[in-house]
Amino acid sequence: MYRVTNNTIFRNSLNDIQSTAEAFARAQQQVSSGRRIQQASDDPSAAAAGLRERAEIRATDRYRDANDSVDSRLRVTDSVLSDIISSITTAQTKAAQGRTTILTPAQREAVALEIEGAKEAIFTAINTSYRGIYLFAGADTSSAPYTKAGTTVSAYQGDSTVVQVDVSRTSSAAVTVDGGSLLQGGGGNVFQTLDALAAAVRAGNMSGIDGGLQDLQATFDSVTAAQGKVGATLSALPAEKLRLDELRRASDTRRSQAEEISLAEAISEMTRAQQAQQAAIAAAGQNQKRSLMDYL
Amino acid sequence: MSLFGMLGMTSKALDAQRFGLDVTGNNLANVNTPGYTKRVADFGAVPPPDRFSAGIGVEVLGVRSMRDRLYDQRLYDESPLEQQQSAMAESLGLVEVALGKPGSSVDADLEDFFDAFAELAEAPTSATARQQVLSEGEALARAFNGMASRLTDAAKATDQRVIEDVESINELTTRIAALNKSIGSSPSSQTLHLRDEQTEAIKELSGILGTQVLELADGTVQISTRSGRPLVVGADSYALAAVAGMPSGYARVQAADGTDITLELTDGHLGGELHVRDTDIPGYQAQLDELAYAVATEVNTLHATGYDLNGNPGGNFFTPPTGVAGAAAALRMDATLMANPSLVAAAGIPSSGDNQVARKLADLRDASIVNGDTPAEAWTALVYDVGSDVSRAEAEQASRQEIVNQIEQLRDSVSGVSIDEEAAMMLRYQRAYEANARFFSVIDQTIETLLSLKR
Repeated sequence: MYRVTNNTIFRNSLNDIQSTAEAFARAQQQVSSGRRIQQASDDPSAAAAGLRERAEIRATDRYRDANDSVDSRLRVTDSVLSDIISSITTAQTKAAQGRTTILTPAQREAVALEIEGAKEAIFTAINTSYRGIYLFAGADTSSAPYTKAGTTVSAYQGDSTVVQVDVSRTSSAAVTVDGGSLLQGGGGNVFQTLDALAAAVRAGNMSGIDGGLQDLQATFDSVTAAQGKVGATLSALPAEKLRLDELRRASDTRRSQAEEISLAEAISEMTRAQQAQQAAIAAAGQNQKRSLMDYL
Repeated sequence: MSLFGMLGMTSKALDAQRFGLDVTGNNLANVNTPGYTKRVADFGAVPPPDRFSAGIGVEVLGVRSMRDRLYDQRLYDESPLEQQQSAMAESLGLVEVALGKPGSSVDADLEDFFDAFAELAEAPTSATARQQVLSEGEALARAFNGMASRLTDAAKATDQRVIEDVESINELTTRIAALNKSIGSSPSSQTLHLRDEQTEAIKELSGILGTQVLELADGTVQISTRSGRPLVVGADSYALAAVAGMPSGYARVQAADGTDITLELTDGHLGGELHVRDTDIPGYQAQLDELAYAVATEVNTLHATGYDLNGNPGGNFFTPPTGVAGAAAALRMDATLMANPSLVAAAGIPSSGDNQVARKLADLRDASIVNGDTPAEAWTALVYDVGSDVSRAEAEQASRQEIVNQIEQLRDSVSGVSIDEEAAMMLRYQRAYEANARFFSVIDQTIETLLSLKR
């Protein structure tokens, strides 16, 4: 026969109360915090998985931010390029008007001034800076891409580096445009072209106007090509963002699976643990009540 | 037997039943005394002197403890294993707390740091972005410093426990030796309580370091460590000493003869503490150092390939670590750089707006620079290692605890006091006392009757 002693009963009751109280406390903490894991030792692999997903989420968020920033920067670039195109178009239209022989000198002067106005507009546009960065100076942001002495515009002062910003682990977007090849490309220096064009209009030099128009067309082509590239990047960004959002959602789901609880399950587990604890306490109380001493 | 002889016999019987009540009372009194073993009174019938006699009553043979040495021995064997895991779970728990919550510890500082470089890559000339990189670098260095010092603190706290354990061992061995002296010099019937104390003390001692116990015929014990270093021989105890060992300053344990026995102590609470202090925590520290070293050197190497805002080649970002060991504790930002954000080398060419190096620095986030792991993975591995070590120690401790509980239950089933059982015994002695008293008065009346015949 197995002797049951008071010590046995006491120790068992105490162990049961302790372990059920522990289970209840854990379940209660899970419900109140919404987290399955309080410390890594609760479930080391889940904790590690949670950490990995958190790192992934942080990286994804960072690329998502970069996408937004690249997007707004390229929108500015795009609109600047539109301004330049529109200025070139104005100059082209005006020069075509100046090509006729019936204009009075005053009218020629007016056309020449309009062409010079377009030059001014292009000069202002090409020197646009965004958040302290010249958008058309390559990587050389210490000086403006073009400067002016009197009415003479300098040669390109930036460099040909195209600055790239990472918009995902695998892709980057060009956020600067090399203002040198843009305005001093196939058609020569566009400012010099416009100066020459204005002079040709004033002088009624038809072949000069023809040559200027030709050069202007070449610059127009290079600017529209640049705008096309910017547009292509801009239109690729939403897809990249969508992909990043999906990655983030997937990571967050995995993180939540690793770290968080299903509230319904956790609450029913807590109720169960509470009942077990109450039962253990009640049983211990009952056990201590029965004694032969009471019958003597 | 004569009537007067019967009176004598009955008075001895009354004494015996009273003695039984005495033993029961003592058992009840000690129902909650740790280590107390239930006593039983042994009675013997006094044999009759000849065949025409029914016997001459009862005599008290003595009192004995209901002890089963097998269970005691099993407890001496199992307690160290349970205590070892318990010590490890507790001390490693300290380390785990030190690691902090996911998303708000070194992991977050690493992400913030690489984010700052990514933002710098977006705006390499921005003073804010440059300052941000420096601030996050400093925050990261502080996070590493703090983590390293928390790990050291955990090791120090564990070291303190080692010293306390050695003190406890010495107290216990002194007590056991004193008990040996008393037990050896007294008749065994008078040393039952001493032997209870002795058993309890040995169990406690075994829990701390694991022992070999040899019980001699006179009830005294010889105790040595598992590796055979004597702790108690007869009335002599051999104290261990906790001596500061260089270079760590952590306690080394010396046997009475001065031998360093730290490496022999692998069992029990002390063994667990030593394992955490000398193996586990240094392992985590090494992992943390490797991470800090890799980040510092990779960032420095890349940074030096770049150009600052003034077009000058980049210098150090962090103060270069002198080696892997201690890298986390020593991680600092370069002072010159801290004083001048324009010295951050974000560009890959001497052009202020270039961002190639900032991009590469940001990309270190995903680079396998710590023994084939990315920085985040290396941190995750450290958290995983600590977590799984704690969880393993806790699980092991729980199962060892269960074994100890079961042995204690078995021991209690032999040696424990049951109030109900004692109540029954109390009734039994009470009734026997009453019956003997009744018998005494019957004999008394018989003698009275006999005496009245002569009147």
